[in-house]
Amino acid sequence: MLRRRSTTVLNLTACRRAVPLLLLPLLLAGCAPDGGGLQSAKIATIKARGKLICGVDGSLPGFSFVGPDGRYSGLDVDVCKAMAAGLLGDADKVEYRNLNSSERFAALASGEVDLLSRNTTMTLSRDAAGGNALSFAPPTFYDGQGVMAPTASGIKTLKDLAGKPICVESGTTTELNLADRMREQSIPYTPLKFQTGDQTYAAYLEGRCAAVTSDRSQLAGKRSSFPNPDAHTLLPDVMSKEPLAPATVNADPVWADAVRWTVNTLFQAEELGITKANVSAKVAEAKASTNLADLRRFLGVEGEFGKQLGLPADFVPRIIAAVGNYGEIFDRNVGAGSRLKLDRGVNRQWKEGGLIYSPPFR
Amino acid sequence: MSRSCRMGLSPPQPRLRAAVARLLRAPGVLLALLLLSSCVASSESVGPASPVLARIRARGRLLCGINGQLPGFSSLASDGRYQGLDVDLCRALAAAVLGDASRLELRPVSTTERFAALNGGDVDVLSRNTSFTLSRDATGGNALSFAPVLFHDGGGVMAPVASGITRVADLAGRTVCVISGSSNESVLADRMRRQGLPYTPLHFRSADQTFDTYLSGRCAAVSSDRSGLAARRSRFADPGAHRILAEVLSREPLAPATIQADPVWADAVRWVVYALIEAEQRGISRASLAARLADAQRDPSRADLRRFLGVEGQLGSRLGLADDFVVKVVRAVGHYGEIFDRNVGAGSPLQLERGANRLARDGGLMLAPPFR
Repeated sequence: MLRRRSTTVLNLTACRRAVPLLLLPLLLAGCAPDGGGLQSAKIATIKARGKLICGVDGSLPGFSFVGPDGRYSGLDVDVCKAMAAGLLGDADKVEYRNLNSSERFAALASGEVDLLSRNTTMTLSRDAAGGNALSFAPPTFYDGQGVMAPTASGIKTLKDLAGKPICVESGTTTELNLADRMREQSIPYTPLKFQTGDQTYAAYLEGRCAAVTSDRSQLAGKRSSFPNPDAHTLLPDVMSKEPLAPATVNADPVWADAVRWTVNTLFQAEELGITKANVSAKVAEAKASTNLADLRRFLGVEGEFGKQLGLPADFVPRIIAAVGNYGEIFDRNVGAGSRLKLDRGVNRQWKEGGLIYSPPFR
Repeated sequence: MSRSCRMGLSPPQPRLRAAVARLLRAPGVLLALLLLSSCVASSESVGPASPVLARIRARGRLLCGINGQLPGFSSLASDGRYQGLDVDLCRALAAAVLGDASRLELRPVSTTERFAALNGGDVDVLSRNTSFTLSRDATGGNALSFAPVLFHDGGGVMAPVASGITRVADLAGRTVCVISGSSNESVLADRMRRQGLPYTPLHFRSADQTFDTYLSGRCAAVSSDRSGLAARRSRFADPGAHRILAEVLSREPLAPATIQADPVWADAVRWVVYALIEAEQRGISRASLAARLADAQRDPSRADLRRFLGVEGQLGSRLGLADDFVVKVVRAVGHYGEIFDRNVGAGSPLQLERGANRLARDGGLMLAPPFR
């Protein structure tokens, strides 16, 4: 077996030049047979390091943002915290790395970050092995691309932007969508491209562009941090659907499963009405009643969901105690309890007509 | 980058090739192939390698694991051919990979043997009314990789109208027929335990045995997915004599599955399912496909449509498929709405409502991420 493996490594010599050595244990983990030997190089690395390294935007109010107290907050940040709470038992054991749109996938592929929780749209080429080879968790926010312009400019539709400069962040799906929509409607325009979100919005506020385009949630978030939010209007046009989802590398499916079911935990907890405030009471109730089999399994009182995912048996209550359920996360960061005041819209629970749905914890 | 990785896949030296040939005969071969495919998967190259895709192409046909006994999903029609929603997904995959929906071998597998058949390589994909659950997905469980949900179902119970059974609680002290190894088996057990109701489950390996036994009167009721109950009832001598209880015991998101160890193949299956949904979103049906394709070819400004239909871009190649795989898929089976209607919806004997299986814009859960 040893000899066979070394032959494999020999054949991979050419690859090793391109793919960091770090990836080899990942590859081996990815090929671990089912059942027994549940191994994820990534989970092992995170445990040994004692903290999760989470790639975020870092300057997007509502999603990931550094507050005046120097602490990160936001919906994307809460996903990082949920992972750290589930895996390490402490939501604060996270190191955040701010990544711009152009560097995010390289940072994930090289292993610089364990997880990308950074308003990233799930698309075919990012998912495909012949593209960015990412593995997407369920979307944590369904967004759509929009356009914002100064209210005083009188710009009300895309057509009003004919011949004008539009600020856009380069390397984003936003840039492609803008080009497609304008081409379809034969509207000439000048894209002004910037490497970072901060540069993009700074240029817009300086008046260098007639409008700025991005996901509608991002526009609302940025607007809330402007000196005079009311001076800016979101146009009604929705140019694309943007399911924003956390991502990991394709090569470590065990880690991808752990992330997927951590997100599903947030969804399922909301559906079951389990909150940050009542989770300990729910655990006590589950422990007291052997008849509540599905609740007991969900909360890790019985069964082996944690073990099957490479997580502690009680990962679900740890997560909910740290960040609450999806509805609480949404409200606190982008919804009614936040400055963004976004409607739940399609991000409602599926039973209420939205798209937030967890497959069964069975 | 991509070229150096591929050199690892096709060693140029004969001596090395002989070594590889020896390796191929060794039991560790799958591991080695998987390692190599993962390596290519990590690169930016177009045309990723996948052991399952490679074996389907070498064989010239796709092996698809189906139920075979479930009207609407996969069952034998009067002409001796399998048909149904699950079968149409198999056909879509054969069209996407091999360019021909008929290059397909449908293999009925039982509930208890389905995961072993997949892991053992007896089938390339499972398209067999299988619920996507945590333990089936997890590496420490069945280590499957689930494609997007093809049909949102719910667990239910059917009983003879004459029995007077109208609620799950009425099953106390009775015998219930159920398929062993199914989600419904554990869901019913949980539910009865929660309500503190004793009952006797009678387990069967096949759906036919389960429902035959129910009809023989040995069980007071039968538990299965509600779509399955409706499908079976539609074939009973007297469908009106049986009632599907109003209570929905569980959510059952039925999804195709592949082995977790081949993420390239899993990606391909995932985006074939999304292609069916996206085609419906765009109103591209079997009938309108040719005209829409002509539109796309004629008009360079339709960038989205051109990429979706493979007129420009390399979306298919990135998945290890032909760039026009969407055209092949829709030509063979139509879009999701057409498949649904024909097999289980308004155009079928089952007459199931779209419900949660409507497009997201119509209030359902069916949504495809962007083909970009």
